[in-house]
Amino acid sequence: MFTQFFGNYLFNEKLVTKQQLIEALEMQKVVRAKLGVLAINAGYMTAKQVDEVHAEQQRADKRFGDIAVEKGFVTEAQVEELLSNQKQAHLVLGQALVDKGYLTNEQFAEALAKYKQNNLIEESDFTDDQNRKIDTIIRNFYIFNTFDGNIDFFTDYVSLVFKNIIRFVGGDFIPLAPESVKEYKADKAAYQLINGKGTVFTAIEGSASALTEFAARYSGEGLTEFDEMARESVAEFLNLHNGLFTVNMSNNKQTELQLEPQKVVENAKLTAKNGEMFSMPICFPFGTVSVIVSSCNVSAE
Amino acid sequence: MEMKDIKVQISDDSVLVRKKMKDHLASLGIENVVEAVNGNEAVSVYKANKPDIVFMDIVMPEKSGVEALLDILAYDSSAKVVMASSVGTQENLKIAIAAGAYEFLQKPINYDDVTKILEKIAERK
Repeated sequence: MFTQFFGNYLFNEKLVTKQQLIEALEMQKVVRAKLGVLAINAGYMTAKQVDEVHAEQQRADKRFGDIAVEKGFVTEAQVEELLSNQKQAHLVLGQALVDKGYLTNEQFAEALAKYKQNNLIEESDFTDDQNRKIDTIIRNFYIFNTFDGNIDFFTDYVSLVFKNIIRFVGGDFIPLAPESVKEYKADKAAYQLINGKGTVFTAIEGSASALTEFAARYSGEGLTEFDEMARESVAEFLNLHNGLFTVNMSNNKQTELQLEPQKVVENAKLTAKNGEMFSMPICFPFGTVSVIVSSCNVSAE
Repeated sequence: MEMKDIKVQISDDSVLVRKKMKDHLASLGIENVVEAVNGNEAVSVYKANKPDIVFMDIVMPEKSGVEALLDILAYDSSAKVVMASSVGTQENLKIAIAAGAYEFLQKPINYDDVTKILEKIAERK
């Protein structure tokens, strides 16, 4: 999950555009992180040394690792270790951006170092999505100030949203800046209420085309339009996610919550009666889908 | 009794969940399937069809799956009702087991578990 938030960081720092990120996300499937990017990430080589090896590769038909070892930049053992890390997603994203020429090795090295520093991330954290650090990143990214006293609840909720999207829909997305709003014009939306001490409103919103693709991926059905199966697939994803959340809360926090049946609305105005809604847009290659949560009474009409 | 002869009731408000379950049942040769889309229907469809086994969602409109489970067992104490729900909370597990549910499956449904349950039903009949 660090990958997605690192992608947003690159976008926020204006190092890459949204379009470039989307292209890189689509490329991720076929790209493998190459040794240069891996060596920078591990701190074994500087961006300058990597560029030097690449220049040498233009002249001689040799592998990156062999040249880097010859030049004394890395040991053979380090090369072996790097190769075993080839599939780390955040590095693959970086590699795709470098390959496309959107980022130089230098820019990638700087951005990754700063991002790790800002979020106090250790290298090992990247490989473990269950890590507590996810919560820190989510808290830093989404400032849940609108939820007095409920910050832990919403941090848990949003962490699980992203885990479930990665698990059931795909990891090729970038979270965009959230918004706190009183009113929200929903194009198409599935929503569900979670009852406990109070009531929490949850929704997934998007255009017909974005939600159709979201639904197609989740359901594994060949959906091409926002028909009944697509609508119900989006709603069922929300219901499944909220269900798994109530199970976590029951097992880990001894908090019992109940779900109301999920519903779907189109061209609806969502209104928070006594406060605000928190909208979290998520940018996929096929469009933007927003997760909306609120601890207020929200009407959908 | 052979597995393909089992009569199955699926009670879930989601057309996606019902389709996935029907697809799985069809892959086992089971075609005798009845459906219900809410808790009230779950009870009436059971009474009308007397299926060998019921798969029951919990979060449903009109009447929850737990209430429907109680109604079905009050009507037929030998009914085999498997709760298949996303909300496998401590509370729901306790209630379902105390009420007499046959099994509890946490969604996302692992269809191998569904097959095992159906094998058991086939053996006992």
